[in-house]
Parts: sequence; structure tokens; C-alpha cells
Amino acid sequence: MRAMQEEPLVERKFPILGRAYFLGGRASTSVKRVLTQAGVDEETVQRVSVACYEAEMNVVLHATSGHVAVSIYEDRVEVVVVDRGPGIEDVDLALRPGWSSASEEARSLGFGAGMGLPNIQQQVDEMHIETTVGEGVRLAMSFRRGERRNV
Amino acid sequence: MTIAQAVEVVKAEPVVPAEETESKLTGCFASDLMSDVLALATPGSLLITGLTTDQTIRTAAIRHLAAVIVIEDKEISSDMREAAREEGIPLYRTPLSKYEACALLMNAGLRPCRRQGTFTR
Repeated sequence: MRAMQEEPLVERKFPILGRAYFLGGRASTSVKRVLTQAGVDEETVQRVSVACYEAEMNVVLHATSGHVAVSIYEDRVEVVVVDRGPGIEDVDLALRPGWSSASEEARSLGFGAGMGLPNIQQQVDEMHIETTVGEGVRLAMSFRRGERRNV
Repeated sequence: MTIAQAVEVVKAEPVVPAEETESKLTGCFASDLMSDVLALATPGSLLITGLTTDQTIRTAAIRHLAAVIVIEDKEISSDMREAAREEGIPLYRTPLSKYEACALLMNAGLRPCRRQGTFTR
């Protein structure tokens, strides 16, 4: 997300399978483990994990496949979630709390109530969505480490 | 209130019992919407839910919740049970409805999850 070229301290990537409901949350659990092992503070781990889990469930519920890449820097954590799938037709609408295009199946899993992207927005310091309808979504999120935020 | 006391209040049976039942709960949250749990439940709190999928457990683990109580004596799948063991999330089941369970816990003194500074009672 930043212009300067800087090597991350830790960099990891985990696959996400679309429609594999029973695996939903595994990639985020792995991300959480990586952050904890790297000594990232608890509050930042919580914020990244929550945002990452919502983003992962978006891939599971809407897309065919994807991955999550996490990069840990001295001062921040960056997470990029990329998927191949239908994309988002109207990003502004998708960011509106309560708006959802999720299936009944998604709702039966306790997701798809239209709070995914709004929840992500609450946790991040910066986020950027790129999407092409019929191709997929790239969601880039950045979290400053160790800073108490007024959310 | 401890996990053991909460379990007693709602007459819950253990599905995957807690190893440490005397640790203090930080509060309680009730929902079947996992996005709401992710956004609003606080670490160390108790979740009351009617959602019996392993997503409930993954959500609880990501949010560092203390325990999950399933309402209405709902059938708990082996997937959910397995996830609870794997993630170390204590899982219980009560015959009570969500409303009854919440009301009894509130009466017994278990506070709702609130972001810091917003709970004035």
C-alpha cells in the first residue's frame, strides 16, 4: 500500500477455497497464528484476525477460489485477500451495513447479513478494493501495529 | 461470574467442557449472526447462540471468547464438536430459549459486552 520499497519481516500466503464452507476460517486462523508467533501485539492480532475472517468468508461465500497474503512490517501489518469470482457490482452499496447479496446457504452459516465489509472497515487503518465484475476482487488492508484506536 | 456459574444458571450440559471453569467471564453476547459477534463481542466473554455450525467455534476462537452455550437443546454436529476441541473453545448446551438464557444470566449479574466506556449502568 505504501510507495516505498521495504522488505517485510514475515510474509506468508494461505489458499482459500470457494464454497468449502467447512474450511471457512482456517486461513484466518493460520494468519492469526503467524501474527502471534511473530510477536505482534494482541490488539493488532485481534483487529487483523476479525477483518481477515470476514474477508475470508466473503471469498468462501461468493467466489470460486482465492488466497490471503499477510506481510508483517516493523510498524504495520498488511493483508491482501484476492479471489476469482463474480466480483462486486457496486462497491459503495456493498460497504453499506446490512446490504447483502449472499445466498440462503451463507445466511444459514451465520454470515451474509451484510456486515462483512463494514466490519472490515471498522478494523483497518486503510483499505482498498479493486474489483472487476465476472473476474474477482482484490482487497488490500493495512493495520498500524500497537496503536489503540477509537472504534 | 465464572464459566461454571453461568453453566449452572442456564442448566447447561457440557458438550466440550472447559478445562478451567473458574476463570471470570468479561461479559456476555447473544447472536446467531457471526459478523455481529466479530464486531461486538469482547475477548473473554460468553456467547449464547442458536447457530450450530463449526463457524460458531471459529468465530469464537478468532474473537478469543471464553465459551459458547447453544440454546434450545439443539443438535450439535460432530463437526462443531470437533472444531471446539481443536480450537479449545468450551461448548455447552442448554434446554432454555435464547431469551430465557439471557434473562437468567443478566439477573444473575453477568454484564453485556460493551465497548470500553459506553456501559453506564
